[in-house]
Order: sequence, then structure tokens, then C-alpha cells
Amino acid sequence: VELMLLVAVAVPFFGAVLVWAWRDKAFAHWIGVGAAGLSLAAVALLPIGRGDGNWVSTGGHLSGGWWHQLEYEWAPAIHLDFALAVDGISWPLAVLTALLGLLCCLHNALGAEGRISSAPLQVPAATVATGGPSLAADDVSGVPGESATGVPGGVAGAGGAGEGAAPGEPGSAGASGAALGVSGSVAGAGSARPSALLTALLLAVQFASTLVFFADNLILFFVAFEAVLLPMWAIIHRYGDPAARRHAAAKFALFTVGGSLVMATGLFVAVADTGTADLGAIIVGGGVSQGASLLVFTLLAIGFAVKAPLWPLHSWLPDAHTAAPTVGSVLLAGVLLKLGTYGLIRVAGGLAPQGAADAAPVLAVLAALGILVAGLVCLSLPELKRLIAYSSVGHMGFVVLAFASGTEAGIRAALFGNLAHGLITPLLFFLAGALKARTHTGLLGSLGGLRLAAPQLAGLLGFAALASLGLPGLAGFWGEAFTVYAATERGGAWLALAAAAAFGAFLAAAYLLRMLRRVSHGPVAPATDGISDTSTVELVVWAPLVAGTLLLGLMPGPLLDLFGEGLL
Amino acid sequence: MRVQAIDHVALLPLYLAAGTAALALFSGRFAKACMMIGLSAAAIAAVGVAAGPDRATFAVGPWHSYVADDAAMGAAALFAGLSVLVAAVSGRQPGEYWFLLAISAAGGITLAGARDLITLIVALETLTVPLYVLVTKPGRDGAEAGVTFLIASIASSATALMGAAFLYAAAGTVHLAGLATGLGSADPALTAAGAALLLGGFAFKLAAAPLHAWAPLVLERAPLPIATYLASASKLGGAIAIIWVVYFGLAADAGASTGTVVAALSVASIVIGNLGALVQRRTVPLLAWSGIAHAGYVLAPLAVVATAVGRDDAAEAASAALAYAVFFVLLEAGAFAALTAVRPETRASLADVERHTPLAGLQSGGPQGSDLKASAENATVHVSGVGEGGAIGELAGLWRSAPLPASVFLFSVIGLAGLPPALAGTFAKVVILEVLASSAVWLAVIVAAGAVLGLAYYLPLARTVLIGRGPATAKGRFAIALAAIGLALLAVTLAPQLVLDFTAVSR
Repeated sequence: VELMLLVAVAVPFFGAVLVWAWRDKAFAHWIGVGAAGLSLAAVALLPIGRGDGNWVSTGGHLSGGWWHQLEYEWAPAIHLDFALAVDGISWPLAVLTALLGLLCCLHNALGAEGRISSAPLQVPAATVATGGPSLAADDVSGVPGESATGVPGGVAGAGGAGEGAAPGEPGSAGASGAALGVSGSVAGAGSARPSALLTALLLAVQFASTLVFFADNLILFFVAFEAVLLPMWAIIHRYGDPAARRHAAAKFALFTVGGSLVMATGLFVAVADTGTADLGAIIVGGGVSQGASLLVFTLLAIGFAVKAPLWPLHSWLPDAHTAAPTVGSVLLAGVLLKLGTYGLIRVAGGLAPQGAADAAPVLAVLAALGILVAGLVCLSLPELKRLIAYSSVGHMGFVVLAFASGTEAGIRAALFGNLAHGLITPLLFFLAGALKARTHTGLLGSLGGLRLAAPQLAGLLGFAALASLGLPGLAGFWGEAFTVYAATERGGAWLALAAAAAFGAFLAAAYLLRMLRRVSHGPVAPATDGISDTSTVELVVWAPLVAGTLLLGLMPGPLLDLFGEGLL
Repeated sequence: MRVQAIDHVALLPLYLAAGTAALALFSGRFAKACMMIGLSAAAIAAVGVAAGPDRATFAVGPWHSYVADDAAMGAAALFAGLSVLVAAVSGRQPGEYWFLLAISAAGGITLAGARDLITLIVALETLTVPLYVLVTKPGRDGAEAGVTFLIASIASSATALMGAAFLYAAAGTVHLAGLATGLGSADPALTAAGAALLLGGFAFKLAAAPLHAWAPLVLERAPLPIATYLASASKLGGAIAIIWVVYFGLAADAGASTGTVVAALSVASIVIGNLGALVQRRTVPLLAWSGIAHAGYVLAPLAVVATAVGRDDAAEAASAALAYAVFFVLLEAGAFAALTAVRPETRASLADVERHTPLAGLQSGGPQGSDLKASAENATVHVSGVGEGGAIGELAGLWRSAPLPASVFLFSVIGLAGLPPALAGTFAKVVILEVLASSAVWLAVIVAAGAVLGLAYYLPLARTVLIGRGPATAKGRFAIALAAIGLALLAVTLAPQLVLDFTAVSR
């Protein structure tokens, strides 16, 4: 079963390479789906034969706390080992990563955004603008041989749009951006499937993220953390919203690299202090020495706070989410943000527990401020994807606040809220993507009456919004409720933070209900008039997320027990 | 006095390189083949010597002037290998070219083994002097490059010699091992002045601030193969000179002043290099400016000898600096070699110009055309600007027209940015950050900030090559040389221990 660890990590990597190698073939997408599926199966098998979570020391080597671990020497001179391990904390996140990877690959392979018929008003306009015949009718059948790259002209799907952006010509950027704006929107409706390259990049992100969750070596952790960057940058830069993607991609890359290098410094201070880079051994040994603890935690926390993101280091996130394609947003919200919180809870908290306790008030205040700021900003945002993106800042604020409280309940609330956000927000992004593909707009002001035009879509949107605002019985509830509980438990000034968080939850309800009122209710807006309802393909892709949200909401117990036996 | 025995095995790589140079001068049209085979043999000999026990020769008491340990022989093999790479991407050249290149390589091999200040400086001069000729293309731009390089080089040599003189005055010896024990009782001011002058002079070779300004200018105007050499082997020479002097000589007794000097050089290079690179629109100057920043990263670990904690770990700091330098010059060599392969050869070779000159004279209607006229004629061949490297925009779409050079170039650029999947660069960053994190966190933060700035110019460069829409007419040349450097980069990516093993220096 140890080898399943290796399989879970290696399969997406080789899948990415194979999809890239055969990117022009029609079956490339299905290789991607196969690789993601295989990886999910491998991750799902990991609980078999797991230990009881108690550490035993055999011959000076600690083992038993991990479910499984394996280790190969790579470059001992820089403390780098290819060491993988899994336990109750990293496993659910790895399952989430594999699941979202599979859903995103399926989404691409089935061309979920390409099959829908868009609002009738939009098709002639787009066709005239590009000078080609309407492709929508041809591609509804989804013939496997008809890949997006084969379509001539500026309508050649997202891949063509990406190549259109010739850098180094600032003068023409505005004009070509405008032209691409049209072809980009056609790509959503016109071409059957996005380029297979996107699938390869998704698998690369999945590979690196899984490696981060499984890494049992701090240097490997850093390398994997960095490896996430380039594929995600490419996803945003090549397949994103033409108007904003360059700026958003550059901002994403600079913020992330800055954060990860600060984090790396913290990791190396810890390595120098303890003399080993074995994550499990350092955590079991009680972390770094007293003197270095606060420094290590500060450096690590800054690095992870960029990724999480924690206010005020969040400003890359709304841009990146808004510009990214649907699958990119899904992975950003569902996986990349989790890297930050996982790192904060497992690595920063584990390496420097003393520093974490010392810095907790600062962290908690920032988190509470983030919750409030995100709530207030969301109340006035006019755009759907941006609103969902900003709401992530609030949700991550809850996670960080729960972690900062430092109590048993708080840590579990943080982990639970983390996972719940990873199910709900991707669902919201899938729904927003579907809606934007149909209506070609994400502006709340020009949407309306979805309840009448597409009742199923409106229903799902309502479900996801309610889950996101923390309705009891759905996944979002437990994390946020216990966050407030954990903060209250600390007493004193923490009561104020608990109150702020509770008010933030109220704000979340307010802006999500406002969003629902604008989108679902009211008279049918021109943009939503005549759009199709959810297709079977979309339902297949979304179903696991809906089921997961319900399951976690109704039965939080098993997952909380799993967290309890994890290594912190 | 007894004549001491010389360990000829330790000197074997040097003999081979020097013999190759002499042979290349007289072998006419076979000079290139001679030079490549001879230097390959020198590289193999260096690896062979490294595989055996450590050797040393030219002893004065317990101190040796020439040491053939693993680090020295690894560096020697790298010098020879990089020279072979440069030769492989050079195209047709007259015999002197190969002679000069081989002499320069022999200087590099001597430098790697040198353990006293005089040998070190002579070796560094042997490495540099042939380049005065090689950087100079006929014509105004070439002359500008040659004169700039000559003046900067002589100024820095004088500075370094002055520093060496001060240190000799302070310690009474020029052996690095002697400096390590002899500086304790010396006048601290004299020692500090000597260290500052010596290191400042050596920093010229590495193109570290404040003697960096020649690099963008000369690299842009030199023929691209020579730019490849300047950016890789020549910089490795500067890095090794500084690391040897700091670690073997100055760290023990003059650590505080040396560390301060190195820290100042490092921070200045990181800041100036990155800011300079941000505004570049041409490929070679961008790589040259970013190379200045990388010189700062090479120096950064050495700065820890300023602190007592750092002096205890001086071996690790020196190993980290050397490892970074090796990763860095390999990546630079990859980037420049790939660039050489895809840029049109305008008048890279002396022979070409000589052939063209009568034609130019005929067309301009004048008497026998001078070099100046020839250059005026040939200047129209240039797409734009002065250098062969061209503007960044001219690389657009390279990925489609020339996949092999483009992938080597991309790998190198991403590696220089320090990002996976080009793990060679990531490991280089890890190596220096590990040292800095234990004794100079502030410098680690500066290095991190520099790397973030670096991303701001490396990513657009990578993007241009990958998805830029351009004429994409460039056809790759020198496929074997590029495959070789590409495989070398891949090897150090998958097995960084290869580099880390031989760069682990010890006294």
C-alpha cells in the first residue's frame, strides 16, 4: 500500500506528460481523465492498513504516526529526500485534490462549457465579429475528432486565443485584447472542448499539490510548493479571461513566488536549527528551539498567508480568480488555497508551536479583519466570479482564526472549514462558469430571473450559496460555527474576535442572499432569456461536490475523528 | 637546497590543455578538432585525478601552491567542458581563435588548483587576456567592446594586485593557507583594505557590482559564442577566485572585514542587477544584467563569514557559493548556447569578414575596403540594434520553429528564475538559502526579494519564446552541442548530488 503513495503522485505527472505529448489527438482528454481517475483510486486506497496513529521509536527511527510512508534519498547534501507520508490530516486534502482534478479533467473532456446553447441574442453578434459561420450547431454533437485546435480563424478555442496574445507589443495590446474579447467569448460557446494542453496543465497542478500534501521532507515540500506556480500561471495566462489575464497572471506569480521564498527562508531556518528536514521527526520532537520559534513561525506564516490568502496579502486572489478559466478557478479555490492553510496548520504550527502561540493574537486579528473586510467588499461587488473569489478571503479568515485560537476544537474547526470550503467554492465556481458561458456576462446587474429561465441551475446555485453561508446541515456550517465557539472558549479579548467572526458570517449571509436575489429572482433579464438548463454532463461533474457537501454537513463525525488522530 | 619533486599527475589536466593550445596554433584546418578533443581529454583527466586521492604540489613548507582536490578538479573539468561547448557553437573560425580559447581554458584549469595569490592572479590573467582579442569583432561596436573590456580588466587587475600587495604586507606570505594563520596579528586596517581591493578586483571577472558595467556592453557587442564563454566559464573563474581567497585565506582571521566587503558586493549586485534587467528589451543585455544579480547570489553565502557563527560554517558557505556558481554557469551556458544556435550569423567570424571585405570595398566604390567600411556594409544585415542577440521580441514563436534550442533556452531561463520544473535553479536557490537561513536571515530575505524581481523579467522572456506570435523563421544549429548542454542540465536537475558532491570544499 506504500506504493499507492507513489502512484497517487506519479500518475498525474505521467498523465500530464502523455497528454502533452498527444495534445493534438482526440483521445488526449481521456488520457487525462484516466490519469486523474487512477490517482483518485490510489488515494482512496490509502486508508487500507493504516496504523493507529501512535508513534513508536524503533532503532532511532520514528514510525507509526503516519499511515504510510516511503523514503528515497535524493540529495543528502541539501537535506533533500524524496519522502512521502500520509495521515488523517493530509489524506482528506489529497482526496479533495484528486477529486477536483478528476472533475476538472472530465469537465474538459466532455466539453461541458462547449455543449450548451447560448442566449440567442449573442450568437449572431459573435459570428459577425469573427467572420465565420456559427460553430455552435456543429459542435453540439461533440464529435471526438473535432478538437478545438482544428477550427480556423480567431475562433480556435482557448488555445488560439492564448496564442493570439503576442507579447512585447504594448501598442497593439489594447486593440488585440478587444478583438480577443469577442473570440474568447465565442470560444466558450463555439468550440466543443478546450485544448488538451489545459488538461495537461491541470494534471501538473494536481501532481504538484498532491506532492505538497504528501511531502514528509521540508525541502521537498518547498520544491513541490514552487512547482505549483508555473502550471497555474500558464493556465491563467493562456486560458483566462482575455481582458484581465496578463495582469492577473503576473500578479499571481509575483505574489506566490515572494510568499514561497519567504516561506523557504523559514523552512531553512528550521532545518538549520534542528539539523534535519524530516517533517514528522521535527513535529514529534516538539518543533524548533525556543529562540528560533517566533522567527520561524513569522517567516512561514507570511509565506503561507500569501497563499491562503490572509488579509492584507490577499489582493492577488480576486484578480486571479476572476481572470482564470472555470477549471482554473476551481483548482485555485479548491486546491491552491488549501496549500496555504495546510502549510499554516501542519508545517508552521508543527515546526514552531511556541511561535504560533506567541503570534496567535496578531494572526487572529488579521483573520477577523479579513472576514469583515471580505464581507463588506462582497456586499458591493458587481461581478459574480469576483464575489465568489472575495468570499474565499472571508472563509479562509475563519480557518486562520480557528487555527490561531490554538484549542483542540479550533484546530479541528480549521481543518474542517478548510475542507468544506474546498467542496463548496469549487461548486460555486463551476456554477458561475456555466452561467457565464450561457449568458456571456457575470455582472449581477445584467442577470436576473434565472429561477424562471433555468430552474435547475438556479436551484443548484441556491444550494451552493446556502452551503457557503453556513446553513446548518450543510458542510459550511460546522467549520464556521466551531470557529466562533473556539474563539469564545479563549475568553477575554477573543470574545471580540468571536463577535467579529459571527458578524462576518452574518455579512456572508447578506451578500450571498443579495447575489441570489439579483441572479435567480426578479424578471428574466435579456441575458438570461432563452438559455438552456443544466445538461447531464454538467450534472455528472457537479454531483460529487453536491454529495460531498451534504455528506459532510450531515455526518461531520468521521472526518473530525480522522483529524483527531493526525499529526500536529 | 633540494629541488622538490613535482606531482605531474596533479598537473595532467593543465598539461593537456596547454598542449592543446600549442597544437591548435599549428594544426591549421584541424585546429577546431584538435582543440575539442584535447580539452575533452583534459576534462576526462581532471575527473580521473579527482577520482583518485587528493594531490598537491609546489610546496613551501606545509603550504601548497597547486592543489588537485575534488573541488578543484571538478571545476577544472567544468572549465574544459564549457570551452568545448563554446567551441562546438562557434562555427568556422581561424586557427588563432581555437588557440586563444584553449589558452583561456588552461588559465581556468590553473585557477581551479591555485592556492596562492600570485598563481591565482596569473591564472586569472591567463583566463582573461585571450578574451581581449576574442571579444573584439571587426568594426566600431567590436572595438568598443574590446576597449571597454581591456580597460575594465586592467583596472581591476591593478586593484587586485594592490590588494594582494597589502595582504602580503600584512601577513608576510602570499599562500592562502599562510594568510589563514598569518593575519591574526596583522594590522586590521591594512588587512581590511587588502581584502576589499583584492575582492573588488576579482569581482570584475564575476561581473559583480561595482565593477559590473562592462558586462552588458561587452556581452551585447561580442560574438555570441564568446558571450557564452564570458557568461559561463569566465564568470566561474571569478567566482572560484573569490571563493578560494575568502575560504582558504581570509575567513579565519579576517572574517569580519571580508564578510562585510562580500555582503556589500552581494547586496549591491542583487539590487543593481535586478533593477537593470527589469528595463531591458534585448535578450543579451537582459541575461547580462540578470547575471549581475546572480553574481550577487553567488557571493551572498560567503558573507556569513562576517559573523562568528558563520565562520564555524565557512566550509558550508564556500560549498554553497561554489555549488550556486556551478548551477548558475551551466544554466547561463545553456541560455547563451541556445541563443547562439538560433540567431543568424551576421559576421561572427574573422574569416567571414576577410572574405567579405573585398566585396564591400567594391560595392562602396572605394579602394580596398577597410574594416570600418566592411562593418558599415554588414551593419545592414543586422535586424536591429548593435548586438547579435537581438531584441526579445525576435525570439517570439521560437518554440514552434526551433524546438530543441527553444526548450534548452526555456529550461535555462526558468532555471535562472529558480522555478520547477527546471530544478537545477531551484536547488541552487535552496543551497544558498540553507546557508543564509542559519546565520544571516536578512540576506536571505534580500535574496528572496531579488528572486521575486527576477521573475518579473524571466517570465515575460519565457512567455515570448513559448507563445509569442512571431515570424518564427529561426532554424536551430549546433544540435549536438545543444543536446549535450541540455542533457547536462537535465542530469543536474535529476541528480543534484553530482554537483553537490564535488563542490563540497574543505581545507
